[in-house]
Amino acid sequence: MILLLAIAIGTLFAGAVYLMLRRSVVKLILGLVLLSHGVNLLIFTMGDGVRRAGLPIVDSSTGIAEPGTTDPLVQALILTAIVISFGLTAFIMALAYRATQAVQSDDLDDMAHTDRL
Amino acid sequence: MLLLIVLFAFATSPMGLLARREPRVLAGWGLAILPLIIFAALCAQIPVITDGGSIVEAIPWVPAMGLELRFSLDGLSLLFALIISGIGTLIVGYAGAYMEKDVGLGRFLVYMLLFMGAMLGLVLAGNVLTMFVFWELTSVTSYLLIGYKHDYPDARRGAQQSLLVTGFGGLALLVGLLLLGAAAQQVGVPVNQAYNLDAMLAAGDQIKQTALYGPALWLIFLGAFTKSAQFPFHFWLPGAMQAPTPASAFLHSATMVKAGVYLLARLAPGLGETPLWNYTLISVGGFTFVFGAIVAFRQNDIKALLAYTTLSQLGGLVLMIGLGGKYGSEALVTLILAHALYKSALFMTAGIIDHETGTRDLNRLGGLRHTMPVTMAIVTVALLSQMGIPILLGFVAKEWALKAALESTLPAPWPTLGLMAVLLAALGYIVAAWRLFKQSFLGAPTPELLTRHVHDPKPAMLLSPAIPALLSLLLPLGLLPAVSSLLSPAAAAVYGERFSFELYLYKEVNLALLLSLGAIALGTLLATQEQRLAAHRVIATVSGAELFDHFIDRMLALATWMTRTLQSGRMRTYILYSLLSFLLFVGLPFLAYGLDEMRIPYDAELQFHEIVVVSLIPVGIIATIMARSRLGAIIAVSSVGAMVSLLFVLFSAADLALTQLLIEVLSTVFLLFLFSVLPARFRSFSPAWVRWRDAGIAILFGMLMTGLVLATAPSTMFPPLAPYFLENSLAGGKGANVVNVILVDFRGLDTMGEITVLFIALLSIYGLLRFRTQRNALPLSGNEQQRPLPGATSNGSHAAPVPTAGSSREEA
Repeated sequence: MILLLAIAIGTLFAGAVYLMLRRSVVKLILGLVLLSHGVNLLIFTMGDGVRRAGLPIVDSSTGIAEPGTTDPLVQALILTAIVISFGLTAFIMALAYRATQAVQSDDLDDMAHTDRL
Repeated sequence: MLLLIVLFAFATSPMGLLARREPRVLAGWGLAILPLIIFAALCAQIPVITDGGSIVEAIPWVPAMGLELRFSLDGLSLLFALIISGIGTLIVGYAGAYMEKDVGLGRFLVYMLLFMGAMLGLVLAGNVLTMFVFWELTSVTSYLLIGYKHDYPDARRGAQQSLLVTGFGGLALLVGLLLLGAAAQQVGVPVNQAYNLDAMLAAGDQIKQTALYGPALWLIFLGAFTKSAQFPFHFWLPGAMQAPTPASAFLHSATMVKAGVYLLARLAPGLGETPLWNYTLISVGGFTFVFGAIVAFRQNDIKALLAYTTLSQLGGLVLMIGLGGKYGSEALVTLILAHALYKSALFMTAGIIDHETGTRDLNRLGGLRHTMPVTMAIVTVALLSQMGIPILLGFVAKEWALKAALESTLPAPWPTLGLMAVLLAALGYIVAAWRLFKQSFLGAPTPELLTRHVHDPKPAMLLSPAIPALLSLLLPLGLLPAVSSLLSPAAAAVYGERFSFELYLYKEVNLALLLSLGAIALGTLLATQEQRLAAHRVIATVSGAELFDHFIDRMLALATWMTRTLQSGRMRTYILYSLLSFLLFVGLPFLAYGLDEMRIPYDAELQFHEIVVVSLIPVGIIATIMARSRLGAIIAVSSVGAMVSLLFVLFSAADLALTQLLIEVLSTVFLLFLFSVLPARFRSFSPAWVRWRDAGIAILFGMLMTGLVLATAPSTMFPPLAPYFLENSLAGGKGANVVNVILVDFRGLDTMGEITVLFIALLSIYGLLRFRTQRNALPLSGNEQQRPLPGATSNGSHAAPVPTAGSSREEA
């Protein structure tokens, strides 16, 4: 199970890095989206073991968790991370939108010289 | 008591600002009370010290690291502290008169008093780390003082030079002291005592045996030599003469530059008496001694001339420490006292000459004997002491220096070398002093001077140099026993054993006396030939400052080059650097240590659909990369997001799957919106080899991440936190869905932060998108003022505040 996650994380990071090294601003954003997926899964591996079964929900009357319940803390952390990375992505999209309009190009190299404007 | 003294010096320093306003002369002498109080407090301790006692005060700071605020007063620190506060008193008073017309005097005096506090802390420190803190403070305050006239480029250059040189030395010193502390711990000194000076010196003999002794000593030498302007780090001292004269007189002759000497003298009893110690100090000190004296008499600027004799004298002090022995330490403390007295008097009179005539150039001065007789008298006494003419304190000190060389027990060439250095320097001093005297007081005044109404300054200014000059004359005439009893504990602290000695003017005819008198005779002879000597260009003029400037220029050029290369302004280059550093600094250690940690657990429950989900991720990624149209890329990247959501489902993370799916939908909508303004197809920017290179880096990076996950995932370093949340969810958070309870209750602040981030992102996006309409519609005018008023028709571009007031009044 951990092997599956590790492969998923590796491919996500590799794809993210390749896209972020491109000159197109759109590919940079796509790379960031993939990177956040990779990071979220990475947090997932840091919990109290990775299991298939056992939703982190306790018995609503006794408050006792069944043995083998998955780690709720990493899930909470990832939930926060998903939302924050979405906020970041949305902001970068808006930034890219404005920058593309201002420079009339989607080439990041053209944007490097906007200070001269 | 000691802590109080240091605190008092620092706490009262802002009072210097009182001197901002007229009458500044009065303010100067009024503020001189502050150092005087310290001086008096220290004088009250003299009996304790002369009886062979010492005072120690310690406040633990970080005991586990040996850091403590420790102050101790013994003979050596008392001598220095008395010089600092005594001369400080005179200088503060003098500064008020000297800078009477300078509105910045307040600021200047604050720096001076701060410096005095730092310097007192340095000499009173009983822990080398405490000492280091004050050591650096003196560098900083010295920088401020040299750069006081910051609108002059020379002042800025001098300040920068001195800060860079002494700052570099300070770093070396810190490492040296830490090594020394480590060595002390090696030989069994407990950690909380390892940096305590007394404990360190007591363990000195064992420390000398450790391998750390050599490196530590070299680094400490670097610190001491830069601070005390020893060759080849001497060049910053003449540059520091850009400071106003009171600062030069205080810092760069009497006190701060002696900090390096002080440090060496402090460490001498424990760490001295090794070949490395003696021979290095004799070579460096002796060379600086002679070098400074020879360069000095070629100078035309009075202050530069004094600066070179000062650095020569510092060399002499280092030489005395190198020669060691009883006579060495006796000569050292006597020289320190004599030099502090005559050199501060000389600097202050140089300031007076500058103040009255408007120049310090020896070629433009002359004939001042008629117009400034009192100044001339002071200069004469001080110069005689510097030359080592009988019955002055300088004479006594020089004789002891000769004796230190004659009586030294070191092997053959070294005592002779020391002796040569003392004699050569004595000759140089006589020539330099004669030149200074002749050029400024003898001869005829230049026409320039005649047009000025040159005269002796007022007593408020003359008092300060007069006192130390007078002391140089009076101390040997009857007060020598008192001086000896003060200097004895100081010499004992340098020597390491209690002993006392008696200074005398004349006891018997011996070799030292004959050599001393011979040097005077020969020096006088040379002085008559001073013009010819100066014209003789055998003496190298390389001062070292050019070399330093060249070095700094090259450093700046290197920095510029690095900035140009690294800071290309291209995002992907920065990302590339980060990635390569990561591969280097994480990847290589992983290859070395992490590979063994990797374990791939056998998974019996592996299902086919799981494999399908995970293998669809790379498919989606490759599709994203290969996509030629933007729509295709969006679809591909969304499929990856969907697979991640599915992974969450597989791992019993229902909340995550839901959220991820929701966010995925939103992201797709946003991406579509963004892409609507962009051309529909990707262009190919990079050449093929760049793409292959990037692909290689990406694959390496991905493999490293996979490896890291496999190596670290079964983490047993910390007990898992999950059981706590599972147990307390219902009881503490009143909820059965533990993830939700964590988000809103246990880690509610995290969620609060998350909401803040989202809100800020929202504001920024709003600002970004709104920006365009503003810029297009209203290019320059202030937008805030143009809010339409309630009920008002928006007819004009400028809805002025007046109608606002009017309309609101009408409504009222």
